[in-house]
Formats: sequence, C-alpha cells, structure tokens
Amino acid sequence: MALSDKLARGRQTLIPWLVPIGVLLFWQLAARAGWLSSRILPEPLAVLQAGFTLAASGELFQHVKVSALRALSGFAIGGGLGLALGLLTGSFRKAELALDTTLQMIRNIPPLALIPLVILWFGIDEIAKLFLISLGVFFSVYINTFHGIRSVDPALIEMGKSYGLKGWGLYREIILPGALSSILVGVRYALGFMWVILIVAETISAQAGIGYMTMNAREFLQTDVVLLGILLYAVLGKLADAFARLLERRWLKWNTSYNAA
Amino acid sequence: MLPESPRMNNDLHELGSVSAAAEHPGLAVGVKQLVKRFGERQVLHGLNLNIEAGEFIAIVGRSGCGKSTLLRLLAGLDATSGGEIQLNRQPAEAFKDDVRMMFQDSRLLPWRTVVQNVAIGLEGSAREIRARALEVLAQVGLADRADEWPNRLSGGQRQRVALARALIHRPRLLLLDEPLGALDALTRIEMQRLIEQIWRQHRFTAVLVTHDVSEAVALADRIVLVEAGRITLDEPVPLGRPREHGEAGFARLESRILKRLMTVSALDSGNQIKGRITEIVVDSVLSEVRILTPAGLLTATVLTRSLSEQPLELGADVLASFKSNEVVLATAGG
Ligand SMILES: Nc1ncnc2c1ncn2[C@@H]1O[C@H](COP(=O)(O)OP(=O)(O)OP(=O)(O)O)[C@@H](O)[C@H]1O
Ligand SMILES: [Mg+2]
Repeated sequence: MALSDKLARGRQTLIPWLVPIGVLLFWQLAARAGWLSSRILPEPLAVLQAGFTLAASGELFQHVKVSALRALSGFAIGGGLGLALGLLTGSFRKAELALDTTLQMIRNIPPLALIPLVILWFGIDEIAKLFLISLGVFFSVYINTFHGIRSVDPALIEMGKSYGLKGWGLYREIILPGALSSILVGVRYALGFMWVILIVAETISAQAGIGYMTMNAREFLQTDVVLLGILLYAVLGKLADAFARLLERRWLKWNTSYNAA
Repeated sequence: MLPESPRMNNDLHELGSVSAAAEHPGLAVGVKQLVKRFGERQVLHGLNLNIEAGEFIAIVGRSGCGKSTLLRLLAGLDATSGGEIQLNRQPAEAFKDDVRMMFQDSRLLPWRTVVQNVAIGLEGSAREIRARALEVLAQVGLADRADEWPNRLSGGQRQRVALARALIHRPRLLLLDEPLGALDALTRIEMQRLIEQIWRQHRFTAVLVTHDVSEAVALADRIVLVEAGRITLDEPVPLGRPREHGEAGFARLESRILKRLMTVSALDSGNQIKGRITEIVVDSVLSEVRILTPAGLLTATVLTRSLSEQPLELGADVLASFKSNEVVLATAGG
C-alpha cells in the first residue's frame, strides 16, 4: 500500500475521534478553571483517579464482578427459557396453540412496570433483580427464536426430509442453523435490555455492585465515583454487544453480509 | 461443437470403476390413473405412465400443466389424491431411499460447505463420509471447491453440487425437475453430457422435466407431453447416443415436438370466439377440430376422449373459450 494511502486511512480513523477528544479537553480545562463545580461534573482526570484508587483497593473489581454476575445469571435464566420455549412453540403447532397467546399477552407488560409488584413479592433482594432481568431478556429471545424457526425455508426442510434427515438430524442440519441469525438478533437485543434493567434494579437497592457503588458515592457527593459507575455500565454494555457480534461473525460466517461487516 | 473440458473427461473415467450398475439397477415405474387435487383445483386427471427400469424419459409440457406435481408424487413428497404409483411392481414407499430428486433451485444449505452439502443425510464415520463426498464431487468436476460456501459458486456449479448430492445416495430412480433451467446454453449442454454419461454408467431410471425440447431430445429414450394433467403424447427417441444437436434426425424430432407444443401454446389466451365447425379429424389420443371464425380458420386440439363425452357435429355453431391450457368448445345450443 502506498504511503499516501496509509496516511489517508489513518486520517479516516482519526477524524471521528477529534470531537470527543476536544470535548474531553475542554471539559478538563473548564473544570480546572473553576467554570464547572465538581459537585455537578468532576474533571475527567478525577474520574480516572477515582477509578485507579478503587481498582487498587480491589473494590472496583468486586462491584463489577457482582453486577456482571447478576446480569449474566438473569440473562442465562431468561434467555435460556426464551430459547427453550421459542424452540418449542416454533417447532410444534400444538405448543404454539397452548402457549403463544399467553406469552404474547404477558409480553405487553413492560417489565419495569412490574417493579412495585416484584418488590412486594421478593422484597428488594437478589431474587427481585434476577426476576426482572430474566423477564426483560426472555421475550426478545423468545420472539426471535420463534420467528427464526418459523421462517426457515420450507424448501430446505423438504429437501432435508427427502434426503433422509429426520428428528434431531433435521434440527441440527437445517432448522437450527436456519433460525440462528434470527436467534442471535434476539440475543443482541436481550443483552442491551439486560443492562438497562440491571441499572434500574441496582439503583433501587443493592448491597453490592456498580449501582450500589454509585448510589453510595452519591450520598457522599463523590461525583467522580458516580461518573465512573456510569462509564462502567457503558463499557460493560459495549463488551456484551461486541460478544454478540463475535458470535454472529463466527456462527454466521457462511453469510456474506456478516463477513463483510 | 463444444470444446470438451479435459478434467470432466478424466473424472468420468473414474466413474467407470464404480460398479453401481450391477448393485443398483434402475427401478421400473408404474403410474396408474394418478389423480392429484389441491383443494378445489384438480391438477392431474388420471395420468398413466410406465417407465422401464433404467429408462431415461423426458417430460415436457406447458407451464402449470402438472409436471412438477407428477415428479413430487413420484418422489413421495406429496400424497396422491387417487390412483397409484408402483416401483418395481411394489408400493412406492418400499423404495423411498432409492429415489432422489434434484430440484430446479439447487436447495443447497447455505450454512454447510459444498462437501458437507453433498454428504447430507449420510450415516457413518465423518472421515469415510467426507472421502465419499469428495469422490462424487470429483465426478462432477468440483473436488477443488469442496470446502467453500455454496453462495460462492455459480448457478451451474451449484447444480453440479446438487447432482453430486443426489448421486451419492446411489439412487435407482433419479427425478430431475428442470435442473438446468437457469443455466446458459453452453453450461447446459455440458451438464447434459455429464448427466447422460453418469446415467449410462449408473443405469438408474431417470425422469427429467424440462422446458427445453432439444434437451429432451438430447437425453431421453422417450419424450412424453403432459397436457391438462394427462399424457397426450408419448414419443420414443430412436436416435443413437451420444447425440449431436445438429443431426438431421435430431432436428426433425425436435421441430415435430416443438410444433406439437406450440399448438397448445397458441390456445393460451383469455378470449372467446364464435365459429362454425368445418372439419373434425379424429385420431387415437388427440383430435383436431377446425372452426371457421370471423377471424379466420381456427384449429382446436381436443382429447378424443372428450369428443366422445361431448359429441360435436359438423356445421354446428360453437363458442370457443381459450382457457389457460385448453380450448373449451361450447355448442351454441347448450
Ligand atoms: N401446493 C400447491 N397448492 C395449490 N396448487 C398447487 C400446488 N402446487 C401446484 N399447484 C398447482 O398445480 C398446477 C400444476 O403445477 P406444477 O408445479 O405441477 O406445474 P408445472 O408443470 O411444473 O409448471 P412449470 O413448468 O411452470 O414448473 C398449477 O396450476 C399450480 O398452481
Ligand atoms: Mg415445475
């Protein structure tokens, strides 16, 4: 590649970062100059410093671990159930008849609207949070699995059957791979929603986790730690999304539209 | 003349070593009074067809006349509404695993590689299956593309993979539903040669549905025409193999069948026209009714059987309605 090409490529990757870097610089300057009260917004360096201190004491890691574990267990329960029921109703008309209408009715209730009821049922414990996250994650996995299975090309299924596939073989070779891209879309949505619900649930109450850390810091007016918590949520959300993309690229590598991305 | 692809020839040489012919002779097909209905619409009206073991027959006919329906019934993909299908004089179900269909759209699994697609439905150790699949891929000249995704292949290559996928099961009856319809003329002829040579080596019974009359003449021992859900022409092809598209006998037969097809096509219009019957030429299966209309002389080809059901008289006034596949003649009186 010619040098000028490389330079052009470098410029292309740099330009989008100019504005955020500028904002950060301006923010730092404004905070230093005293235009911004640290009670409203701490300087970026202070956030970084808070991060280092908390990391050094091991506290940060502890909180991230609790939050991530909480989110992932909720995701595993809700996503697992969504996948299982989606496969069931997608594959068997009878299961669809028996379950789908009920599930669609429940789907119309926003999980966050259930918070008062959930607190009544489970108190403000771990279970309440797990319940909310599982519920939030469940439907996007369920719906997309169901539709994925239903939209597998019937011509391919017919081909498979006429070439001697049946039962689990047909499932493994044709139905599951055919539904996979739709299922992964559901997983990606679910991962996004998982963090939203986690944040709300942790903000209401928690004895550990990122939400606990930020709410605690808020009481002591440690805006730098509050900001750090917000950033951590963002990073975790991004990581989850990157993971989902990785899965897509890996499992859907036959699909040119994912190859190009 | 086409330049022969040397690779394909070598591969066909290998084919000779496969003694499939002895172990897997073709199946004889007997179709009696076959009826197929889709709800209200009846597609096959008591179709009869006998195919000898190892015979290659081609089915031609207008779009929508029921060719694919017939093939799908032979493949056991749909249930019959009446009549019966026998293979080697036994109910067809007994030979389910010996019948393979090659679809018009290749129907490869996009999430499986070429070699995995060929191996679909096979049982055994992974290594053994792969070896067999590679061997058959070599027969169709695609061994070097074994580990690619199907969507990287051209249409003709995909059809060759589909052919390999059908052949690996050593079918005794191979059903081909316009497998070459989407290919360009050269690839088509190349594929025709490939199919013919593989058929000659394996000696399965082959039923080919095609819109291309020259393809039918090039490949088939016999050509049948399906019209309105029945067989209205059954024409042997008395030409030696391999056949050349330019030969005199070839061209004569091709143009005769084409003309016969055109007669059916000419009637494809939504119009009705009044006229008077001037002549009726009765033949064994089909009869021609000549009608003098204001627009000129019209020749309607009707089934002789329907003539006996609804007699027509010379000089009678008739209303000819052109429906998709047939001319319906209504006498002015009734
Ligand atoms: N599953 C189905 N349900 C209802 N009608 C059908 C079905 N399959 C076929 N038909 C009808 O049966 C008739 C014959 O269809 P078929 O596919 O056998 O035609 P064909 O001779 O193969 O036509 P082509 O040359 O266009 O492929 C058509 O009128 C079609 O609409
Ligand atoms: Mg068809």
